[in-house]
Amino acid sequence: MLNIKNLQAKVEEKTILNGLNLEVKPGEVHAIMGPNGAGKSTLGHVLAGRDGYEVTGGEVDFEGRDLLDMEAEERAQSGLFLAFQYPVEIPGVSNMEFLKASVDAIRASRGQDAMTSMDFIKLARERCKAVDLPQDFLKRGVNEGFSGGEKKRNELLQMMLLEPKLCILDETDSGLDIDALQVVADGVNALRNPERSFIVVTHYQRLLDYIVPDYVHVLSKGRIIKSGGRELALELEKHGYGWIDEEVA
Amino acid sequence: MSEQFDQYLKSEYAAGWVTDVESLTIPPGLNEDVIRLISAKKHEPEWMLEWRLKAYRGWLEMQEPKWAHVKYPKPDFQALSYYSSPKSMEDRPQSLDEVDPELLRTYEKLGIPVHEQEVLAGVAVDMVFDSVSVGTTFRQKLKDAGVIFCSISEAVHEYPELVKKYLGSVVPQKDNFYAALNSAVFSDGSFVYIPKGVRCPMELSTYFRINEAKTGQFERTLIIADEGSQVSYLEGCTAPMRDENQLHAAVVELVALDDADIKYSTVQNWYPGDENGKGGIYNFVTKRGLAMNRSKISWTQVETGSAVTWKYPSCILKGDDSIGEFYSVALTSNYQQADTGTKMIHLGKNTRSTIIAKGISAKNSENSYRGLVKMNPGAEGARNYTQCDSLLIGDQCGAHTFPYIESKNPTAVVEHEATTSKVSDDQMFLCQQRGIDPEKAVSMIVNGFCKDVFKELPMEFAVEAGKLLEVSLEGAVG
Amino acid sequence: MAVPTQASESMKVQGAHDTLQSASDWDWLKDWRARGWQRFEQSPWPTRKTEDWKYTPLKSLVGTDWSLAEGGSTGQGVDFPDWERTVLTLVDGQLVDHDALPAGVSVHLLSKADAQTRARFEQRLDESLAGEGRLFNVFNQAVLAEALWLEIDPGQRLEKPIQINQVISTAASERVIPVRVLVDVGAMSEATLVETFSNEADGAVFINPVTELKLADNARLRHYHLLLETGDVRHLGSVQAELQSYANLDSFHMALGGTLKRKDIVVHHRGPGAELNLNGVYLPRGKEHIDYHTTLEHEVPHCTSQEVFRGIIGDQAKAVFNGRIHIHKHAQKTLAELSNKNLLTSHQAEVDTKPELEIYADDVKCAHGATVAQLDKTSMFYFLSRGIRREEAEVMMSFGFINELLEGLVDEPVRHLLRPMLASLFAKDDDLARHLI
Repeated sequence: MLNIKNLQAKVEEKTILNGLNLEVKPGEVHAIMGPNGAGKSTLGHVLAGRDGYEVTGGEVDFEGRDLLDMEAEERAQSGLFLAFQYPVEIPGVSNMEFLKASVDAIRASRGQDAMTSMDFIKLARERCKAVDLPQDFLKRGVNEGFSGGEKKRNELLQMMLLEPKLCILDETDSGLDIDALQVVADGVNALRNPERSFIVVTHYQRLLDYIVPDYVHVLSKGRIIKSGGRELALELEKHGYGWIDEEVA
Repeated sequence: MSEQFDQYLKSEYAAGWVTDVESLTIPPGLNEDVIRLISAKKHEPEWMLEWRLKAYRGWLEMQEPKWAHVKYPKPDFQALSYYSSPKSMEDRPQSLDEVDPELLRTYEKLGIPVHEQEVLAGVAVDMVFDSVSVGTTFRQKLKDAGVIFCSISEAVHEYPELVKKYLGSVVPQKDNFYAALNSAVFSDGSFVYIPKGVRCPMELSTYFRINEAKTGQFERTLIIADEGSQVSYLEGCTAPMRDENQLHAAVVELVALDDADIKYSTVQNWYPGDENGKGGIYNFVTKRGLAMNRSKISWTQVETGSAVTWKYPSCILKGDDSIGEFYSVALTSNYQQADTGTKMIHLGKNTRSTIIAKGISAKNSENSYRGLVKMNPGAEGARNYTQCDSLLIGDQCGAHTFPYIESKNPTAVVEHEATTSKVSDDQMFLCQQRGIDPEKAVSMIVNGFCKDVFKELPMEFAVEAGKLLEVSLEGAVG
Repeated sequence: MAVPTQASESMKVQGAHDTLQSASDWDWLKDWRARGWQRFEQSPWPTRKTEDWKYTPLKSLVGTDWSLAEGGSTGQGVDFPDWERTVLTLVDGQLVDHDALPAGVSVHLLSKADAQTRARFEQRLDESLAGEGRLFNVFNQAVLAEALWLEIDPGQRLEKPIQINQVISTAASERVIPVRVLVDVGAMSEATLVETFSNEADGAVFINPVTELKLADNARLRHYHLLLETGDVRHLGSVQAELQSYANLDSFHMALGGTLKRKDIVVHHRGPGAELNLNGVYLPRGKEHIDYHTTLEHEVPHCTSQEVFRGIIGDQAKAVFNGRIHIHKHAQKTLAELSNKNLLTSHQAEVDTKPELEIYADDVKCAHGATVAQLDKTSMFYFLSRGIRREEAEVMMSFGFINELLEGLVDEPVRHLLRPMLASLFAKDDDLARHLI
């Protein structure tokens, strides 16, 4: 599904990713962990095609296509979804309007007809229930005045509606209490299937108690320095990141 | 980001074609003889001619206003023609069936329903082509309800008492330079009278079209809502693409008597000039309403056209408990300049006003909000709330806010807020990440920014306005 | 159309200019004043149609033959008990007394300049910030009798604040007092400057002070500009400031009393990272008229401005506020906010306010707000429901409205000076005043 080879990227002349390799197969869940400043969020933004991140080397294959050659919206249309750490507010644009535009765009890219408004409203309402968001959130401006937890659940709602192939969750647990975390994790787990893959970027292993990964990778100074199974996260929890740096060095 | 915007800003002004009809246009120049000629062409009574001449003599003494934040070469008032009419209209057709089909096609092409059986059957239309009204639909149906809806030229003949009483009662002949000019040479426009207690059975609208080159259009509209009546009126405007600037100086007067309610909506899409700032309409307009006890006047405008706009639809809240509203979206792109806003003059007790103004500037344009909120000593318990927001797209444009607040009453409350923002990279990225292309994203964000105003527009117009904004923004993001 | 009258025809000051010119032996200065006079002569006299003077008529300047003040005897001025500071006292525009200057600080006077200092003055006045066509800056140049130039060397951290204590004496009746204060704060220096204006005279006086503040890179200045004159005083002047990179200016203004007060405050952000805090309070009573015109010129990127002005207008008084924020092209990443709130407390009082934004850069955050209102009804009810009399509640709430700004003042002695003044202004009887202090 996704194959990253020797990826290097700069932000404002500073190298953040420095030769990163990662392969994700359909149905797998990969956790990326690492200390602050390791380049975790940058990875998500580079893969999603955010402006201001300059790819200086390497290649990324997504479903047989050159991901780095695609515009941000093309990447989304081809099935890549980034759940933001800090979802931005767009005043005046209602959630419903935004979701419909997004779903229409993605359906169009798959050669599907746009949903009728009635069908869409019905679907959106159902999904709202699933993520425990009151329905009046659909009428409010995108993320406008939402609490941290509500913003994250709104991201999950979008994920459900867009049915992506690859989901990148960027620090989705930040700012969530245990209850909210449970809701988000349940939502994510419900979406897991043999065709859909996840990259879960997180600082804490707490999230991985809820979304159990197949692989755990440690990112440091822009590269993956250690990979392992679920147990690696627990070791990190116990010993911190320091011991890995030492071990690798 | 900016490259994505760049690709997206090449636009076509959709209403820029010319109707090929033979016109009678009087030679350029302005003097008392020209005014007499206009008056004679309209077979006006003597009192109307005198009224015009008085305005003209006042105008000669006046200076062009200089305070607006716009720059343009002073128009040569002697180089303009002040009257132009399709030749076929000289025979004064008695009904729409007698009107030259070529003229009606002009309006059909612009999407205006000229036949009463058409889809937008809920709207009656007065069509003004250069200096004359071509025809008005649904007259009979309106007449049955007691509503008068006709061209102002007809009203002068058929309802002289109403015209004498109210013409110039809200905007006096010498109110300002352009209002004086209009009072002297006004050609056509609409006249509406809603009798006591009548709720107008349909939306009324006037569609203004400038067709002839080197002419000015000086329309005059007068709407009187008698006690307890209600009316919603729409106004639209377009003009062909031409390299030279054309002048449009209109006056609109609204009178809302006790307990009346007037809603006046405008979608202004005069030709804005090309991407290098060549050509376009100078739109210098005076619009004002007088609100008596418990009445309400609501102005909604979407301004996307014109090279230069100078326009302040205002309310004089004379009656106690009267309400004034102003909702505005002004979008400028290329080299357009707009200086627009409102005046809310609170005279009566417990008067209320709301101002929501959204300015969007793109490319090399200049967009200013200019407003006055005045609380006179008698305005006990009056309130105003004003919100002005500017959105900048690109770093070559200007967005300005000049709100004047004058208060002489300690019980009156005035609140003004203004903000400036841009379409942020974060917002664009979120949209793109959800698969929405940049073009659609900008238009969604801009539409969201304007939402508070669009929701005030009648349904068909709201859709229209959104599309217009999209078209006007094309190529504007750079 | 009526031909506009020239300024020099409307205001009789030719005598003052002539007196100065004939007494001087400094050719450059005479020429500089003459240029000022020429521009003043050519300036049209403001009318209601002059945008900058729309709400402030200048009729109280017309009619009197304003001769030049000659410098009075000693005057007391404004004292801050228990606040150690360096005081320079100017009476009717002449320096009469000053404390010893701290190290790293020097003062020059236009009237006492030797040849070497004259040359420096010439350069400094050529680079003046106050030369841009504002009528009473031009006037100041035309009739400038004295300038006090305060220089703070780079890298100084002044322990004590410097007070420029301007006093109008009893001898100044029917006189004009033009005076200029130039303050240059060197790079990395930190200082506090307190400018006070007060009067001992009761007669008609016209004071025209211009203050220029130049802050070099990383300089920090805390500045107070307090117009405390009462009675028949006309105070028309300006404060100009220039901020270089990462300079920080915190400027507080207050005006109460007097026939007419008009202050133009202009701040130029000229180096990236410069920061401005500009706050002010105006409290006209009786038939007083107070007008603040502020202009923030954001000329470079990455600067910030926070501005808050509040006023309470009572009796038949009038207040005018005009706050302009001008973001120049390329001044990206600017943060600028302005708030102006007004309380009208009488049916004969008037306020005219105009916050303006003029923006030519897209990546900026700017906002302004203005309100005119009465005291909040919900709060009033809360007071009443706790058994507090309405009059008392009004006083406390009005005071609170202003006190929010006073609370933000870093220097406690300034708060101590101003608070009782305000208390006595708001509270008619002493009992109430005591509540407030």
